[in-house]
Amino acid sequence: MISNAFTSRLILMAGSLLFALSARAQTRITGEVAGPLGDAIPGAHIRIKGSQSGAVADSLGVFGFETTLRGKQTLIISSLGFKTQQQPITLADSSVRLSITLDDTANTLEAVTISAGSFEASDKAKGASLTPIDAYTVAGNGGDISNALRSLPGAQQVGEREGLFVRGGTNEETRMFVDGTLMKNPNYASVPGIMQPARINLFLFKGVLFNTGGYSALYGQAMSSALILESIDLPEKSSANFSVFPSNLGAGFQHLSKSGRNSYGGGVAYSNQGLYNKVVPQRPDYYRGPEYRSVNANARFKTGKSGMLKAYVAYAESNIGMRNPDTDSASLRSDFRIKNPNIYGTASYRTDLGTDWRLDAGIAYTFDQNTIHNRLLNINNEPVTIPNAPFSAKNSDATRNSHFAQGRAVLTRHFERNQSLRFGGETFYFDDTQTYNGAQNLLRDQLSAAFVETDIHIGGHVAFRPGLRWEYSSLLRKAVLAPRASLGYRLGAGSQLNLAYGIFYQKPENRYLFQNRQLGFSRAEHYVLNYSKKANNRFFRTEVYYKKYNDLVKTLPGIRLGGDGYARGLELFWRDKKTVRNLDYWLTYTYLDTKRNYLDYPERIRPSFTSPHTFTIAIKRFFQEISTNVNVSYSCAAGRPYYDIRAGDDAGTRIYDSGTARAYNVLNLHVSKMMSFFKKSKFRDYSGFAFGANNILGTKQVFGYNYAYDGSFKTPITLPATRFYFVGVFMSLGIDRTEDLLDQNP
Amino acid sequence: MKTPITTILLICTAAFTFAQNGDYKAELEVSIKKLDQAKSVSDFQGLEKTLVQLANTQKTEWLPYYYAAFCNAKIGFLLQDDGEKIEPYSVRGEAQIKRSESLAKGDSKALAEIYVVQAMIYRTKVFISPMTMGRQFGPLSDQFLKKAQKLDAENPRAIYLEAWTKYYTPKLWGGDKDLAKELAGKAIQKLPATTFSVMPHWGKAESETLLR
Repeated sequence: MISNAFTSRLILMAGSLLFALSARAQTRITGEVAGPLGDAIPGAHIRIKGSQSGAVADSLGVFGFETTLRGKQTLIISSLGFKTQQQPITLADSSVRLSITLDDTANTLEAVTISAGSFEASDKAKGASLTPIDAYTVAGNGGDISNALRSLPGAQQVGEREGLFVRGGTNEETRMFVDGTLMKNPNYASVPGIMQPARINLFLFKGVLFNTGGYSALYGQAMSSALILESIDLPEKSSANFSVFPSNLGAGFQHLSKSGRNSYGGGVAYSNQGLYNKVVPQRPDYYRGPEYRSVNANARFKTGKSGMLKAYVAYAESNIGMRNPDTDSASLRSDFRIKNPNIYGTASYRTDLGTDWRLDAGIAYTFDQNTIHNRLLNINNEPVTIPNAPFSAKNSDATRNSHFAQGRAVLTRHFERNQSLRFGGETFYFDDTQTYNGAQNLLRDQLSAAFVETDIHIGGHVAFRPGLRWEYSSLLRKAVLAPRASLGYRLGAGSQLNLAYGIFYQKPENRYLFQNRQLGFSRAEHYVLNYSKKANNRFFRTEVYYKKYNDLVKTLPGIRLGGDGYARGLELFWRDKKTVRNLDYWLTYTYLDTKRNYLDYPERIRPSFTSPHTFTIAIKRFFQEISTNVNVSYSCAAGRPYYDIRAGDDAGTRIYDSGTARAYNVLNLHVSKMMSFFKKSKFRDYSGFAFGANNILGTKQVFGYNYAYDGSFKTPITLPATRFYFVGVFMSLGIDRTEDLLDQNP
Repeated sequence: MKTPITTILLICTAAFTFAQNGDYKAELEVSIKKLDQAKSVSDFQGLEKTLVQLANTQKTEWLPYYYAAFCNAKIGFLLQDDGEKIEPYSVRGEAQIKRSESLAKGDSKALAEIYVVQAMIYRTKVFISPMTMGRQFGPLSDQFLKKAQKLDAENPRAIYLEAWTKYYTPKLWGGDKDLAKELAGKAIQKLPATTFSVMPHWGKAESETLLR
């Protein structure tokens, strides 16, 4: 029911509206523009759609203007950093007063990121993005970050060697950087056919950036991949921790000062597989260890308002002696003995310099001694010397002493809207002495690099990061220039298209440089296209790439550069934390098509460390009622090629035999139960009981074959034992590390 | 002949009144009545927009900001399995509840209500990524709940939130489902059906879901 008075008011208004339209009088529109919390938005633009009428809000967000327009109109209100709003308005002769509230854009759109070719596990991860803990808890990683990352696309499943084999590259083409500086020997020195553990505890890192291609100009000397790690800052509180797994013992502590501005800590670890190997027979006959011991110390200081100084030093040593059947004679055995002490120290400093500048600096030092004795043994394990080939080369003594030092500084200038310019330089000093059967050889190199990179944001949708890196090696007497570029384009909320391009140089490994110093840099060129979508605790990512290798090392005839190759492929990643409550899983698929002609390969062939198809699953389920985590990982990879390559009739080599090894299938299980032994005590403990098994199905793994000298027979390269088990307890007093695994509160 | 003109003019007038600020009290009452019926994310989203508009016309009242923040907290709880999607709501809610706190001017009953919602907002931040944000915002949420209970031990919404926390915390870290149900029952008892008021009175339906 419309009252009479109301109706007459309406008629009156309609009349005046009509009158106004004909009279073209001015109507005044005034009002104020505020943000979501009622704060004035000075400088906001207000205009009527399709006309010139409008105004700019003053410092109090107040505006006013006049218009001759009438009837239904649309008012457009916009301001930088706020969502543009369209508001219908009906204009009549009477003036209009408005109160307008604009939404923040920051709340609706996340900044575009640069993410082609990289997987980030960060302590700031949201939704289904990876956290460091996600990576660390992949079943079967054995405490090795590289191993943990093998559950991500791009990495190959190479069960007999440590490190990351990425997109047709060897493990030597992946480099690991800690707070900017190179960690030269992340794993204990290689032992033929047996994967060696990592020297460094992965819980030291709060951020992991796994670049599988097209990485930043800030890093170099890695043709395939850069693994960029960020160490933790101050611990949250003082704590002590112990772990007892029969063959691995560990203890450590962290002390946080009362002021909360600095901390120090240390740890020791000892591992001897001897006892375990008595219980679970191993294929190699170990007569020493394998034994690993390490001790480390760290100190961290907050300086000034935003400064952070961190230092870490560690000593780690491996000690292994083993005998294997000789590949050339059933009546002989070969004895391999290695001792590998290593000192690693690094210090990093970062600070803001005023409001716009930031400094990141770091130094690192590594001393690595690698002593290997090879002996030929008779059936009674007594050393024998046989002067003719191939046995004459089977008794050898080699010691390599490597000193490595690095200094690095990066300056960043911040501009508005997340834009920035970074530049800096670094220098690496290498000093390697090799003694082989008494003959000494020295290699020194000073490798210097300068780099510049900038982040440019175009509109709200495009982020562009061009970079340039210059490198010079005093040993090779060569300078190279490596351009890099990366682009991110936002397609919609949470979905991005990414592109990356770059040239990556790497100097040949020392074992080749000892024989020929006249080599140059090897070179790889990457093209990466990536699409990712994140939403609702799910994450999908796909990437295609093409990679071109040039100037790879050739070993026969003579050490030279001249190898080449390519790699191309498709990778998929899917993670879902939503579908089943408390269950987190990810699936990956890696397709790799690669061929290269390098070392003794007679032509371009598929390298023996690559598999065309790799599929991995990582599943994590937390059973809240029994405080138990169950982690399962499964990987399968199509069989890898193997070859018998020997000198041919002419100067080159020939493939005498080749084949494809059986497919790789491995299922790993890891179960940990969290508990507290002293619930009532002042020092409440966060403890746990863990057990696990690798290759739980007992699948026979054949990674490839070692051929006899004349190719007359081949020995499979396989796991030292079919399955690997571990069981033990861990305890943390004070700080709660297990919370990382447990805080899954909905 | 009269009807079409009236209709057009009615629309015009409605637009006018909508654009120009209506009666604050009446509008708040309408919004809260709607809020009592709200169930879905889009219900809360719509109400939040209205409440923010309302808050900004007034700028001195703690209630509309409080309710806007509450809408964002509810959206966060509804989307708790959706990870990063929650973030914009948490961020908005946090700013709104802080604004509400600054307007409450030491009114301890009001502050108790505000801290309960603030605790809920921090809980929604935990939902975004329990692994990375849980450690920081879980304890912060508990802290604000305790603050609320200190100001008003009998606040049924604080009791409800405590029940919720007890219900969903793993046993090892102090969770207790039986105690949670007991608390939820207590909260319901303290929420008698009285005549409608714009003051906070939610919590019954929420507590009942814990008892199911």
